[in-house]
Amino acid sequence: MSGQGQVSFRNIVKLHGQFAALKNVNFDIKPGEFFALLGPSGSGKSTTLRILAGLDAPTTGRVMIDDKDVTSTDARDRDIAMVFQSYALYPHMTVAENIAFPLEMAKLPKSEIAPAVKDAARKVKIDHLLDRKPGQLSGGQQQRCALARAIVRKARLFLLDEPLSNLDAKLRLETRAELKKLQRSLGVTAVYVTHDQEEAMTLADRMAVFMSGEIQQVGTPAEVFARPNSIDIAGFIGNPPMNLVPARYVDGDVIIAGHRLKTTATTAVERDVVVGLRPGALRMTEGGLGARVDLIEDLGDTAVLDLDCAGTMIRMRVADGNIPGEGDTISITARPQDIHLFDPATRMRL
Amino acid sequence: MTAKRLRVFALLAISMIFLLAWAFPILWSVLNSLKTDSDVLAYPPKLVFAPTWEAYRDVLFGSGSILPNLLSSVIISVGTTIVTMLMAVPAAYALARLRFRGKKFAGFYVLATQMLPPVGIIIPYFLVLRNIGWIDTYQGIILIYLSFSLPFAIWLLVSYFEDIPFEMEEAAYLDGASRLKTLWRIIIPQVRGGIAVTVVFVFLNAWNEFLFAVVLSGNTVRPVTVAMFNFVSVEQTLWAKLAAVSVLAMLPVVVLGVVAQKHIVKGLTVGAVKGGGRR
Ligand SMILES: Nc1ncnc2c1ncn2[C@@H]1O[C@H](COP(=O)(O)OP(=O)(O)OP(=O)(O)O)[C@@H](O)[C@H]1O
Ligand SMILES: [Mg+2]
Repeated sequence: MSGQGQVSFRNIVKLHGQFAALKNVNFDIKPGEFFALLGPSGSGKSTTLRILAGLDAPTTGRVMIDDKDVTSTDARDRDIAMVFQSYALYPHMTVAENIAFPLEMAKLPKSEIAPAVKDAARKVKIDHLLDRKPGQLSGGQQQRCALARAIVRKARLFLLDEPLSNLDAKLRLETRAELKKLQRSLGVTAVYVTHDQEEAMTLADRMAVFMSGEIQQVGTPAEVFARPNSIDIAGFIGNPPMNLVPARYVDGDVIIAGHRLKTTATTAVERDVVVGLRPGALRMTEGGLGARVDLIEDLGDTAVLDLDCAGTMIRMRVADGNIPGEGDTISITARPQDIHLFDPATRMRL
Repeated sequence: MTAKRLRVFALLAISMIFLLAWAFPILWSVLNSLKTDSDVLAYPPKLVFAPTWEAYRDVLFGSGSILPNLLSSVIISVGTTIVTMLMAVPAAYALARLRFRGKKFAGFYVLATQMLPPVGIIIPYFLVLRNIGWIDTYQGIILIYLSFSLPFAIWLLVSYFEDIPFEMEEAAYLDGASRLKTLWRIIIPQVRGGIAVTVVFVFLNAWNEFLFAVVLSGNTVRPVTVAMFNFVSVEQTLWAKLAAVSVLAMLPVVVLGVVAQKHIVKGLTVGAVKGGGRR
């Protein structure tokens, strides 16, 4: 390994004509970290990854790797390995030749290439498929082949652009776990692009949440989940995501649909706010906010209720044992510390 | 059962008619090349006759042997093909991939050169070649052939290059390959079907070309298409010899076709089905 894989983005802007795909992006990745770039489609995640890889140049700003400015360094000289969403396997080469290609380009002697290829293939469990062509592999096997080609070179940075999105749900879960183990055992810095918040939450040590070309929050998954910075992030993280309800803040209380709830969040004056409530933080109680159960989605161990609170839709997660019936009227509440306040104008946390 | 049989039979009959129509000139050439001159002109045409190699012996080893002309044709066609491919592959790659000013115009220009009627430019070409003293030279004829084969080859190849996803190349760069290495190791192996198709077409066009050859060649450089014309004169046409030369001139084409067949079929069908680009 020629470096530790420390990354800094400094004021990166990327314009496509008039359109700003990235508007002043800043973040730092520590060596050995599993760092996720999370955001909805079109928010600029792939653009960020491609700029880091050197496949695209930023319009302005600096990219630093291991404290060196690599903004104008060629992709092939950055010592970065990448797994593409399409895998980009070389169709005319066998699996073994695919995996060997980066080593050949690095002019390693043949005697070292063969064992390295075997080793990488074994790590991703495709060592029995080395003689096949990519066209003869299943989707999951192709994905592993792409992984093997990326890890064989022991690059300082390991970039993955939605590597699991072409797999079926079950395989995605399995591969997700293996990917994390693999990254741990290699000790390499990984940058992982996904639009699936669950994937980011489970895989990442830290993550950056992208919204229309900007990073709105950087932090551990737990931090982002516990204290989302903005209405957009609050509505994006969690399954189902936070309820966002217009309300009025009055002196330590919020008034939702005529009902007062205590909150620990404070703001200076009486004002309109947007209240964020996690579906899992809501509980049934006596004398709380009245709600009619419109729909029940039973997930087996838990259920998600769609509630109608005087015209406002609120979703609530309840444990298996105490599911009310559809059409029932219930009464709900939340602890003061579980009530998040956002500014409806700036959309940021108060 | 019988209806199905009838259909098969009808299909077979129709195919036979097409095959016959297509194969007739070839059969005619082969048959006549094995006849004596008097047999050729016999009426009604003889289907049963004593075959003779006389015509072949005459055209190959007789006084007006066409062996030098065959050699001329080989040099011209192979030369044209090699130079065309050496230039067309990088050019097509550039047109398919790189973004540069005037790319649209370049693409149109390449195609536009194919729209000129050849007869219209024979005189200018002749004058140009005469002024630089390249009439009746290999480089002269090859240069003129390039002006047609190159745009055609580029135009044909571009679509093959465009079929290769850009990410494949980017993966190669990240794997540490240079642009040239990527072209050579990753791109070209995947367009080899297209290259085979292009080689065959360019070679055939050069091999069969007559119009320009007859004007721009001379006594030193005289391809077989022009030499063949010697057997046709005002007084008489030497049908047997003409047929023998035609058959000989066909041989390299047939060989090339057989050798390249596998690639050609692939080259023509890639992209026809989903996932067809995979090999
Ligand atoms: N070459 C281009 N020209 C114009 N706009 C572009 C170009 N490339 C990307 N964009 C725009 O930049 C924005 C960010 O694109 P990017 O590919 O980074 O999104 P993403 O976050 O990766 O989304 P996804 O999850 O769908 O892959 C998009 O709105 C996209 O339309
Ligand atoms: Mg993307």
